[in-house]
Formats: sequence, structure tokens, C-alpha cells
Amino acid sequence: MREVAVIGVGQSQFGKFPEKTVSELGREAAQAAIKDAGITPKDIQVAYTSRLIDAMVTSQTVLKEVGITDIEMVNVENACSGGSTAVRGLWKDIANDVYDIGIAVGVESMTTSPIAGKLIPPDKDDLEGQLGLTMPALFALLARRQMDEHGARLEDFAQVSVKNHHHGCLNPQAQYKREFTIEEVLNSRMICEPVTLLQCCPNTDGAAAVVLSSMNVARKHTANPVKVIGSVLLSGGYAYLRDDITLSPLGSKTVRMAYEMAGVGPEDLDVVELHDAFAPEEILRYEDLGLCRPGEGVELLRSGATEVGGRIPVNPSGGLLALGHPLSASGVRVIAEITLHLRGQAGERQTPDAKVGLAHMLGGSVAGLEAGACGIHILAR
Amino acid sequence: MAEKVPIREGAFIEGPDGGRLLANKCKFCGQVFFPKASTCMACYHDQMEEVLLSRRGKLYTYTVGHMPSSHFMPPYAVGYVDLPEGVRVFAPLKMLEDTPFKTGMDMEVVIEGLWREGDTEVWGYKFMPVKGGGP
Repeated sequence: MREVAVIGVGQSQFGKFPEKTVSELGREAAQAAIKDAGITPKDIQVAYTSRLIDAMVTSQTVLKEVGITDIEMVNVENACSGGSTAVRGLWKDIANDVYDIGIAVGVESMTTSPIAGKLIPPDKDDLEGQLGLTMPALFALLARRQMDEHGARLEDFAQVSVKNHHHGCLNPQAQYKREFTIEEVLNSRMICEPVTLLQCCPNTDGAAAVVLSSMNVARKHTANPVKVIGSVLLSGGYAYLRDDITLSPLGSKTVRMAYEMAGVGPEDLDVVELHDAFAPEEILRYEDLGLCRPGEGVELLRSGATEVGGRIPVNPSGGLLALGHPLSASGVRVIAEITLHLRGQAGERQTPDAKVGLAHMLGGSVAGLEAGACGIHILAR
Repeated sequence: MAEKVPIREGAFIEGPDGGRLLANKCKFCGQVFFPKASTCMACYHDQMEEVLLSRRGKLYTYTVGHMPSSHFMPPYAVGYVDLPEGVRVFAPLKMLEDTPFKTGMDMEVVIEGLWREGDTEVWGYKFMPVKGGGP
């Protein structure tokens, strides 16, 4: 397989824009990524686009606005891992020498969706979804075990939100650029005990795009391209195999494969972007990804290591909590964010001298399975 | 009177003792599945036998929702209950005023109407704390 580079990244503004269509949101991101790559639309040979809600030929709908037609276009859905899935598909095409250059787009209009302002449910026919398992309920059930098993306190969950909202203030494209205190987070409206409103990702409209290419193409544009050194996408295993729900066999297996492919370990990472849809979840993801040992996520958070300026910044973008979470865009957006850090272009939130970064996304609740899918990409320069 | 429709066929039975959940078990490896599996997902054997699950189990985790879900208006509780057969069941939980939820507490199954859809009432299972139960 060939080495693959990230040569262009782009993101629309994230926020509530019910007046913007999906093609407008997607166009903003795709044009930004193409401009950033220093290529023209006709250079793009293949496109993958991810969208979850009301999706139909979204690649074509978005890319016709950019000047891209008459190429292979693939449209994917994988809940919140959809964006990772689009990037993974494009990565495989380039690594396997099918194409030399292509674009992956993720886009979602949440404020115009049927679930705007509601708790996001699983598929309408999902048994557990019908019985009341919403996304915040799922992570609230986990949070209760984190408190019982790992000594997590309500203030720890709130601290994740305080941290990521602080990071959002450093990111001009974030939906929320506002500092919150632990008390404000804990006193915000209760959603699913113990998860309060400010511990939930908001409804967000937005899009992100990345241009990937072979190294030959990449070197024509830059002397020091960012490489994708690991790319893994796995679906979740049976839930009955998991005794302790605070452990994630899916996340652990996905990251183990990604580290093996990349030839690095968690100790080599300089920066991480991960799925923090609900504040307590970020602490569990530290453990899956090997940033600390199982059960020690709370200690890692309390140490301050995962703040911008800390040893291993996590979600310097503001994460899903503050930057926002247009579902299918997030898996693409985390790769764009890591790329900016590796290039030294992340502005006030820049991780100093970042050489290796990890972009994670997790998605989907399916009765009987641990989760829908987990996608992990490791990037390096 | 509204027509009663089960949320899933063959997932539970009503009885004088309050009803039971119906699972199935692989005759080859013994793995138990709820809801029932078409074949064994552990060893791929297709000889499955129906088993009645115990009425009582222990609360593994819970939450109380304060925004509507697809079918429930707040406040409503949901959680996972571990049954002795090695099955963890996700279910709505009945809230009792004098018995706050606590992980590890004894719970028992109740079969009752969950919600109405026009002229039909969807029936299913919930778990409720056992009064005077442990821990």
C-alpha cells in the first residue's frame, strides 16, 4: 500500500444556521479544503461524502456547487462515525492506487432535521431506542458506573465541559466561544441524570472536508506533507460480551490496530481529538485510547494534562461540546483539526511542536451491540 | 377498549406471578440471549431452546430522563438490570416514591402498558425496585 497525505483541510463555520442548505454548508468546507490544497476542482478524481439525516446523493448535491462533476462519488452513513468512514474510504482508494487525489466531506444540518431540539434516538425500529435509550441516556448510564467504579465526581464531568468550552474560546470557528464555571455547568438544566445541558453537545449545522493524495502528488504542493500513518474503522461487538460497560472493547481494539499500523504508541501522541458528545464520555475515551490505564481517566483529567498547554491536549478545537457536533461532519473535522496542529496553523490553541496526532470518532447505538462504529486516524509529519 | 400489542412478539409472557421475560439458549454452548437470537451468535449453532428468565435481578445502572424520549414523557427512568441467567436487560424502570434507585438494588420485572398508538396500547416490560429487597 502507498503512503497517503492530507494536503487540504476546510471547515464551515459551526453553529445554528437553519437558513443554510446542506449544499451551502458543504460547499463552504469543500471550497476551503480545495483552496488550502492549492489545487483546482478538476484535480479531484473521487469523492466520499457522509451525511446521516435526510441523505440522498449528498456528494453530488454539494460538489456541483464547487465545480466537481463526472467523477466517482460515494455517499456514506455510519451515524457519528460517518465522517471517519468517508475519510477511510478515500484513504483506501489512494493507498491502494485506485486514485491519486480525492476529497472527503462530512455535512449535517441539525437545526432543520426532525430531531432538532430533541434527544437523539437510535433507529426508529431499535428495541432499546423505543424503550427510552436516547444518546444522553446511554452516556448517563455510563456516567453512573464511572461514579460507582472509578470514583468520578459530578465536578469531574463538569470540568470536561469547562475545559472544552475554554478551548472553544480559542477557536474562531467554534459554535460556543464562552467560558463556563463548574457551578454553571452543574446548575444548567438536567437532561439525563447526572448529565446536564452544558455536558451535552449542541445541535450544530456545519461541514468539514479534507483532500487526500498520494505522496507523489503531495510533494508537488508541499515539502513537508502531513501523512496518514494509521486508518482503522471497526463495527461494534455484541454487548453481552462486555461485563463492565465502562470498558470499550471496540475502542481498545480499534486503537490497538491503529497504533500497530502507524508504528506508534499512546506515549508518542502530541494531540488528540475525540468524540466528547457528552462530558463524562471524554474521560472513558482517555482510557480506551491508552492515554492512561483503565479507571485512571479521572486522574488524568484532574492533572490538567489534557488541557491546551498540558502534556497531551485533548479536544483543543473545543470538541463536540463547544465547537459543535454536526453529526456526519465531526469525523472529517477531527482530521482537519489534527492537520492544523501538525502544520503549526492552529492559532491560539496550537499544540507546540506537534508531530503525531490522533483523530477519533464513535457512532451509533444499536440494541445488542456495544456501539455502531469507531473510526481512528493517526496523522504525523 | 384499546387493543394490546406486544412491543416484540415472544419477548415476555404475562402470568399470575407478574410475568416473565422469554429468552433463548444455545443447546450447544449454553449462551443465553434476550431478546431471542435466531441462531447462537457465540458458536453459530442453530439448536436454540426457549428459557424463562428469572423475575428478579440487580440494578446495574440507571438514569432519570428530564426531556421526552420517543415514547416517554419526563420524568422517566431507564436502566440495565442483570438477571441470574447472565443476561443484562435494558428496560424502563418504575419509580417508587419511597425507594430511590441505587446500583446493585434488587429489581423485579413487571409487564404492563408502555404507551398508546391510536387505538392500540403497546405492552412490554419494565423493572421496579423490590420493596424491602437488598442491598
